[in-house]
Amino acid sequence: MPMLEIKDLHASVGGREILKGISLAVNAGEVHAIMGPNGSGKSTLASVLAGRETYAVTGGQVLLNGVDILDMSPEERACEGLFMAFQYPVEIPGVSTAYFLKAAVNAIRKHRGEEELDAMDFLKLIKTKMKLLEMDQSFLNRSVNEGFSGGEKKRNEIFQMAVLDPKLGILDETDSGLDIDALKIVSKGVNSLRGPDRAMLVVTHYQRLLEYIVPDFVHVLRDGKIIKSGDKKLALELEAKGYGWLDTAA
Amino acid sequence: MTQLTSQPAPSTVAPSTGLLTEMLSAGPDHGTPWLGEIRQSGIRHFQRMGLPTTSQEDWRLTNVAELAKIRFSPAASGKAAAIGADITRPWSLRSTGANEFVFINGLFSPEHSTFSASAAGVAPLAQAAANPLWRESVFAHLALPQTNGFTALNTAGFADGAFISVPADLIAEAPIHLLFISTEAPHATLAQPRVCIHVGARSQITVVHTYVSTGGQPHLTNAVVELAAESGAKVEIVKLQREAQTAWHIGQDFIKLASQATLQALSLNIGGAVVRNNVQVRLDGPYAEATLNGITLITGRQHVDNQTLLDHAFENCPSHELYKHLLGGQASGVFRGKILVRPGAQKTDSKQTSKTVLLSDDATMDSQPQLEIYADDVKCTHGSTTGPLDDEQLFYLRSRGVDAATARSLLTYAFAGDVLGRTWHGPLKGYLEELVVAELHRLHLDRTTS
Repeated sequence: MPMLEIKDLHASVGGREILKGISLAVNAGEVHAIMGPNGSGKSTLASVLAGRETYAVTGGQVLLNGVDILDMSPEERACEGLFMAFQYPVEIPGVSTAYFLKAAVNAIRKHRGEEELDAMDFLKLIKTKMKLLEMDQSFLNRSVNEGFSGGEKKRNEIFQMAVLDPKLGILDETDSGLDIDALKIVSKGVNSLRGPDRAMLVVTHYQRLLEYIVPDFVHVLRDGKIIKSGDKKLALELEAKGYGWLDTAA
Repeated sequence: MTQLTSQPAPSTVAPSTGLLTEMLSAGPDHGTPWLGEIRQSGIRHFQRMGLPTTSQEDWRLTNVAELAKIRFSPAASGKAAAIGADITRPWSLRSTGANEFVFINGLFSPEHSTFSASAAGVAPLAQAAANPLWRESVFAHLALPQTNGFTALNTAGFADGAFISVPADLIAEAPIHLLFISTEAPHATLAQPRVCIHVGARSQITVVHTYVSTGGQPHLTNAVVELAAESGAKVEIVKLQREAQTAWHIGQDFIKLASQATLQALSLNIGGAVVRNNVQVRLDGPYAEATLNGITLITGRQHVDNQTLLDHAFENCPSHELYKHLLGGQASGVFRGKILVRPGAQKTDSKQTSKTVLLSDDATMDSQPQLEIYADDVKCTHGSTTGPLDDEQLFYLRSRGVDAATARSLLTYAFAGDVLGRTWHGPLKGYLEELVVAELHRLHLDRTTS
């Protein structure tokens, strides 16, 4: 059974259909890249999987380890092991990163029937993960994403993924707004999270990220549908020929 | 001193005093004919002005006409000693180290109060009347009976209250807590406390005044606070309005700051059916500094109207104002903040912010700044926002596994909490944070059950 199975997924916003029948299977241990031009529905797909309520799912199924998650709230999906790294991480003034993460970690642990972490164990957990993303200790007491640079925000997303230990990680345009150094740190963090029990869906416009996070499969989305799938060579081909190439290929 | 009031109602309309006239008798003069005269002037001014009406601009959004139709009786007195000592427990601030002075139905109750002998300078008003400082520099000097019907009524009839007098160069570590309790009664009750505070030069003190009720009958609290801070004094004053949802609460604070005096004021409004707070601060010497903060957490059909005046009378005075409102149910909030910069008050630096989160579609907020500036080298800014909780923030928290109710609590606490973060007195700050968390929990419960 695939870890993630998307079957003929349709979704719309404001009556306009954005996803027009997407089917995709991702097995544990695999990294799939979703590429496509602007407006093809890449980010919509990520948001629909995470449960953003601005999109209406009009058809299809999304199975996570065989369980349909489309009727679940965003928090239930997170507890079931789904994580989305935001394209635009939200600033939350007044809520410290440490407080927020502890609430999240313990909500998920509770759902799994595990004991909640106390302050000491929690600190131990996040300190090892902070090292991974080369983050400064002071950031724990700062409000979530408030005043963070673009790179810090993206690093924070991957850091949260490392702490929350999801089964399925969805990276929504994680490379956008990153300089090369930040990109390397973020990619290193992501790669360290790859493993036989975890799957990842990497949504990106550019091939650049895939030099650092090498995918097992690449899918090209256009106008709400997957029009081409292949291995990592497909990304290079796209880079060389541009998305326009697919008009003739398709 | 310019008062935060409007013109008296047009003389062609008979002043609305209604059944309150029955309550209009002069309180005790404590053997001071001078006090008796001031009380008589309170009576005359109330008869002339009556209750404010909604045709007056600054009372447009708070209708107190209903008060004229309620037959109030004076709250029961003399029975305080029979009330158990534990009545104060839910509202006590003794855990913060405060000296606590308890007033039951408007009268000081030594039996319920806890204070160390060194908490000098706090006296019930019966004794204050003999103190020249009280009558020469505070009482009826900051709150004039003719200000409005409510100050007139209070001046005429206040039964008791406190006079806090801090001598010069004294740093009082322990806060002073004045706890006003209205008890259950078979009829509508009226309590009119009067608090006068004089803080000597370079002294420092924190004063909390709390208003609560134990009964569910309609009752009116008509409180007046007068505070004069001498040069270089540092004063923190916190108001906790936690009365029953059957209460009418009119609270008026009149504050005067001498040069280099610093004020930090917080007004936390949780209770009451109809609540009106007037806070006016006169920056009455160069380099005086005032901070006015407010948090309103209401739901159901509660109405809270906060009106503030920052009266800049001298040069080089900064003032800061931050009012936050969290409104659920069909609650309605009003904020009117006026900044007055008098001629010559150059280098005034005043910033006013009002922020509201509406937790339901039926809650309403009216937020209005008023700037009146008669000096040319000043900096005055104001800003106001009103809206629901941010959907993006909610989604972000939920996408990490935090359930919707907890996410809302987190966001609302973050919204209100930064106001509390500015509290000077450490233990008091901790107390206030716990109080707000508990009240937010109640607010969210209301939200999910309504």
